[in-house]
Amino acid sequence: MNAIEIRGLSKSFRGMYAVDHLNMTVPVGAIYGFIGENGSGKSTTEKLICGHLVPDGGEIRLFGRDYTEPGVRVRVGALIENAGCFPGSSVYQNLMMQAINLNLKNRDEEIHRVLKIVRMEEHAALKFKKCSLGMKQRIGIAMALLGDPALLILDEPINGLDTDGMRIMREILVDITQNYGCTVLISSHILGELEKIATHYGIIRRGKMIMELSAREMDNRAQVFVSLKTRDTEGAKAALSAKYPGVREEDGYLRVYDVDDTASVVDYLMKNGHAVSEIQKNKIGLEEYYVELMSQKEDE
Amino acid sequence: MMKNDLKFRSPTFAERIRGMLGVDFYRLFHTPVFYIFLAISAIIPAMVSAMTMMPDPEGNTMEPLYSNVWQIVAASEPLYVIKSIADYANMNMVFIFGGIMVSIFIGHDYKSGYVKQLFTTHAKKQDYMMSKTVVCAFAMACMCISYLIGGTAAGLLVGYETDVNVGSLLIAILGKIVMSLGWASLYTFLNIIFRRYFGISIASSFFFGTGILIIGAAAVVENLSLPASFLNLFLYGSSVNACLASNIWTLLICIGVSLGWTLVYNLLGTRLLYKSDVY
Repeated sequence: MNAIEIRGLSKSFRGMYAVDHLNMTVPVGAIYGFIGENGSGKSTTEKLICGHLVPDGGEIRLFGRDYTEPGVRVRVGALIENAGCFPGSSVYQNLMMQAINLNLKNRDEEIHRVLKIVRMEEHAALKFKKCSLGMKQRIGIAMALLGDPALLILDEPINGLDTDGMRIMREILVDITQNYGCTVLISSHILGELEKIATHYGIIRRGKMIMELSAREMDNRAQVFVSLKTRDTEGAKAALSAKYPGVREEDGYLRVYDVDDTASVVDYLMKNGHAVSEIQKNKIGLEEYYVELMSQKEDE
Repeated sequence: MMKNDLKFRSPTFAERIRGMLGVDFYRLFHTPVFYIFLAISAIIPAMVSAMTMMPDPEGNTMEPLYSNVWQIVAASEPLYVIKSIADYANMNMVFIFGGIMVSIFIGHDYKSGYVKQLFTTHAKKQDYMMSKTVVCAFAMACMCISYLIGGTAAGLLVGYETDVNVGSLLIAILGKIVMSLGWASLYTFLNIIFRRYFGISIASSFFFGTGILIIGAAAVVENLSLPASFLNLFLYGSSVNACLASNIWTLLICIGVSLGWTLVYNLLGTRLLYKSDVY
């Protein structure tokens, strides 16, 4: 069973498709990184899943059930765009409202439990409007965590956070999935951060899903390369290009793609009269993979 | 939260509505807007009564608006066409303040984004319409009582007469309280229509709350010498009909009209929420 299964989902605004016959499959227990440029349809898709927008067509199933079933929707937690809290009310009051909304029994206990997960126990009495951006995002996560969510939908939860805030958020998300078994759909522009936690990826472009793959598949697809530095970069590049098909210069370093044997590269350069001052074996990251994929799509 | 099981039990209607009502009542009692409007409801009739007894700059005492304390609560007879401010300035004014309060209450749902939490967990849109209607009707009923207290106290202090048919007075008060439900459903519906435009929501609530359309219709009816009683089928007409000459039929009409329009506006609002994007 999949946590989310979408087939042919479409949504248009004034005749322009924001989501265009999109298909998506999110396995149960996954942290699904939803990637795409601004305006690609990520937030619209998430809003459609949460029932905030009415689709033009298509089917959304959550845990094998229609997404409009109250039983399944009551177990969806969402942080879309902002935490959705009343600024004049305290953190505790905002969480209390959500606890009442969900008909939770041990409300006070539940609130303190989620505040602990998001490391906000000491700020329960603080008015929401007095909270920093990072705190607001964590409160949004706490709101989504109340009850017993089987699915969390998080729209750009790490946007605008500082390094420490991002680290805390990452730890929280890993904790949620590992210890509570939640499935998480998370969209983000910060691919480096997403790469550290995601188990699956979906790449959306102009409202269409162009690729879905697991982190392992991503790892297999990611090109390995050797990065090196020599005194005569141009000469070394010419020499390497004669033997290796994928040679590129990046920030003063030469990259030789699809090669993981550093010794053979060093030997080859030495034979051609180029001394190597630095050499490292690497793999391209999610960000580079994404940029590469997007430029390929642009060319098509 | 335990390690997640994947069993999904659908909440019953009672559970769903209890959750939604719980949130709305919690909000109502924890935000200052409600208390501010309660105070306004008490102060306005007191101000109207007191100001009309004050002498003008030349020292002449103004003609009092009322002769009887209870006219502050309801007019002596159904006055569909207003001839003076006294015809207008009674408990019906609560339905104008109430409209503004409902706009602020619902507007904050959208402004804060909290409505997203509600619609994420409540797939059934009627939960939202029903809960908002009930809570706003309760708030308006409280405002009616607040108006009654403020108006009565001011009337007694000013020294108006107190003679009244107690039965008719009670029916008039009850009738207006019952009408709160119909008005709350209208305002909830208007705020659903204009949910993205806070200012227009308030303006539309004010426009309908003043009963301008019915007042206009009443003027036409009067000129055409038609029976005015059919105006009682509308919220404003029925609210005006609950006067100091009320009888049990007046109350029954108020109950019927209020429930009827509540049903209509709730159905329309729910349909609108299902057919359009909510946020």
